Amino acid sequence: MPYILNTEADIKEMLKAIGLNSLDELFRRLPGQIRLKEPLKIAAGLSEYQVKSAVAALAAKNTPVDGFNSFLGAGCYDHYIPAALPSIISRSEFVTAYTPYQAEASQGSLQAIYEYQSYICLLTGMDVANASMFDGASSMAEAALMALRITGRDKIVVSGSIHPEFRQTLKTYLSGFDFTIKNVGFDEHGFVDTGSLNEAIDGRSACFIAQSPNFFGLIEDAAKIGRMIKEKGAIFIMVANPLSLAILNDPASLGVDIFCGDGQPLGGALNFGGPAFGILATRNEYLRQLPGRIVGKTTDRQGKEAYCLTMQAREQHIRREKATSNICSNQSLNAIGAAVYLSLMGKEGLTGAALRSLEMARYLHECLKNVGKVKIKFSSRFFNEFVWEIEGAKKIVKKLYKKRIIAGFLLGEFYPKLKNCILSCCTEKKSKGDIDNFIETLKNVIC
Amino acid sequence: MNNKLIFEKSSPGRKTGYFPDSGISLAQAQELLGKDYVRRDLPLPSLGELEVVRHYTNLSRMNFSVDSNFYPLGSCTMKYNPKINEALSSLEGFTNIHPYQNEDGVQGALEIIYNLEEMLREITGMRRFSFQASSGAQGEFTGMLMIKKYHETSGNKKTKVIVPDSSHGTNPATASMCGYETVVVKSTRDGLIDLDELKKVVDGHTAGIMLTNPNTIGLFEENILEVGRLIHEQGGLLYYDGANFNALLGVTKTSLMGFDVVHLNLHKTFSTPHGCGGPGAGAVGVTEKLVDFLPAPVVEKKDGTFYLNHKIKNSIGRVRGFYGNFTVLVRAYAYLLRLGREGILRVSQNAVLNASYIREKLKDYYELASTLPCMHEVVFSCEKQAQKGARVMDIAKRLIDYGIHPPTIYFPLIVKEALMVEPTETESKATIDYFIEAMLEINKEIDANPDSVRNAPHSTCIKRPDEVKAARQPDLRYRY
Repeated sequence: MPYILNTEADIKEMLKAIGLNSLDELFRRLPGQIRLKEPLKIAAGLSEYQVKSAVAALAAKNTPVDGFNSFLGAGCYDHYIPAALPSIISRSEFVTAYTPYQAEASQGSLQAIYEYQSYICLLTGMDVANASMFDGASSMAEAALMALRITGRDKIVVSGSIHPEFRQTLKTYLSGFDFTIKNVGFDEHGFVDTGSLNEAIDGRSACFIAQSPNFFGLIEDAAKIGRMIKEKGAIFIMVANPLSLAILNDPASLGVDIFCGDGQPLGGALNFGGPAFGILATRNEYLRQLPGRIVGKTTDRQGKEAYCLTMQAREQHIRREKATSNICSNQSLNAIGAAVYLSLMGKEGLTGAALRSLEMARYLHECLKNVGKVKIKFSSRFFNEFVWEIEGAKKIVKKLYKKRIIAGFLLGEFYPKLKNCILSCCTEKKSKGDIDNFIETLKNVIC
Repeated sequence: MNNKLIFEKSSPGRKTGYFPDSGISLAQAQELLGKDYVRRDLPLPSLGELEVVRHYTNLSRMNFSVDSNFYPLGSCTMKYNPKINEALSSLEGFTNIHPYQNEDGVQGALEIIYNLEEMLREITGMRRFSFQASSGAQGEFTGMLMIKKYHETSGNKKTKVIVPDSSHGTNPATASMCGYETVVVKSTRDGLIDLDELKKVVDGHTAGIMLTNPNTIGLFEENILEVGRLIHEQGGLLYYDGANFNALLGVTKTSLMGFDVVHLNLHKTFSTPHGCGGPGAGAVGVTEKLVDFLPAPVVEKKDGTFYLNHKIKNSIGRVRGFYGNFTVLVRAYAYLLRLGREGILRVSQNAVLNASYIREKLKDYYELASTLPCMHEVVFSCEKQAQKGARVMDIAKRLIDYGIHPPTIYFPLIVKEALMVEPTETESKATIDYFIEAMLEINKEIDANPDSVRNAPHSTCIKRPDEVKAARQPDLRYRY
């Protein structure tokens, strides 16, 4: 039997020791009417070779993005992953370990998570980060819950140019309570409409949540937004692609109180959208409201440096119904992966990836500008993606797809008014050749 | 071992060069974007690949793991994580697909989700599943929000959720996140839900009850049908916390036990690895009456083609971005294909056998938390040992010196000096005998020299950390 080491002889001997005659008797306390009388209607087990063939055949039915000339981003980015990263992170000492509750037997994961927390603080300028959340969307929802607890207010103000799935998740997370969510739209340049923000944010508002670069790729004037929010005594929550922070101002310097985001761009594969991990970081003063696990540095009984899980009085296994969140398992392995990625890339590598993404996106932007019928939708203050508009976008995207080009993300799905708009992204994997190929094909498709 | 932080190994000027250099500089980026938007300095280290590889390889060697140690951590189901699942989940056809690419390019991925759902439906008897939740706790949140929306849609005012005093901390925490008041129901001396106590708290305001079965004392809640009747009579629903489902695979179904919503921890029962605490996956299954409340999207099949159905009438919405921890689902799927129907039953049989054997061999030395037979895990109370000067924490730490990861301790909260042992089905009798031997040795040692147990572990890279200092003087990050 696969994965079971007890032999028939072992089973017999163990049953005898317990004083039972059959495996069936182990379940004698179950009422008869709930016992299954028939075997499950599931196929018989397969050999490993058969499983491999069956699952590999399903993998082969998919078309990896690398088989296209892809400009698809929209919250999940196709960056280069150094070979050393999966090599380290697939070490079974990391893969098959549990949450490091037992510090003496888990110093490796604890130190790696401490390094992850440190990296997030260095990138964002925030004081503290937790050991990870599930993803960017749930991380943002937890940030909003933090703001509600911190301020005791009952209204969340949120920018409409945040990833729509993040906003949907926020709505779900707040649905158990009578809180109000107020959306603030974007102006003709694609930025937060500060006039509407000014109206929306009031003495009841716990926070304003903005994304920068926003869902359209645009870099918001976050410092200005931060000042507006502070005047009303609300918390400033910012969502960002962490890779953008290699070249953009750190959120702390912009007045951000809670930073959240999806960690996928830090060495995560696309994985059909998961697993990646969520980043959550804040200022020291809000540490006690930060949900999730946190690793701290301390000393052992002999004064030697040691790491352990700490501040556990916030967590569900201690505080139960009064906990900051119900989160228990998180996405540790992915967070450790991010620490490894940032170490491999280093200061120069990370800046290089961000700059090359920017460079390629700018080149695509320049090229598209010169294509007849194409209109650049918003401002040109973007990081790695931007929005362009063309009549019949859906059809054009379809035609390009047939020529193995994924032009980007059709915004109409989330923003009916932007139905002819396409969000296109470049990472450091793109070359000018890829972009020229895209532009040439686009020109052919249009005419 | 040199455990300097990675930041302390930096030498400015080192560069790894994984892709072509950018044609623009930071100064040019400032011109393009405006200098007010571009940062002046990025305080990250500069390292070489070998240093990074060696650093993290050495760190990994400071860990206990299933691949290197027996890991009888109660309620966590630290079973073997088959290598084939790792190999298959890292195929490019799964890792290099984008959540927003055309559905014709992800048919294999959708088929896996569809097929996995079919198998889990058969195993649990539930009508439909969602795979969006990334963990057990997020599965609970998803399931309890569905219960909430179900009541709201039916126009029923429900305010409270019942949990037994033996429940996982996530249960009451989840109820709070859904805006419910938590009501705790006591257990009997045997460790089962006290029906009389339950009757006192169930009323028309009861939204539901959250249960693990077997419960956290490792006992089958044999009055489950009566519990279900009491709750259902008042219009409440039954939530199944699947953390302990490993005991019941192929033996019964959650639908037969009367549950309306279940979550299954794929990283427990279905063999996907724990990865130092995640990623996991919480598959949430519901009966017919809750199907309309599932998070969108779900995978459907039409004319042989799979697609994402985003239109669910009364959906609670999404609990995260995209579709969940997909590559975790690939592992669980491969695992179930390999087991097949007879392998699935062998899991629960051997899990319960191994735990029952430990119970039998240790019961004369460590006091049992309950006289009732255990299922897949057994809980001892080490009060007697504590009186002799070695608390359960000390026993747990001493096990590390035997190369055994400590069992869960001080949980469930209703058992004093609790030691919760879950061996899982994948361990051999020889390993289990070794564990029993170690426990007996430690018991002897407590009589002879409790100090040696109190000062354990002796063999690890650090001694016990000062947790009070860690909490009082938080050092949570490196600073340059």
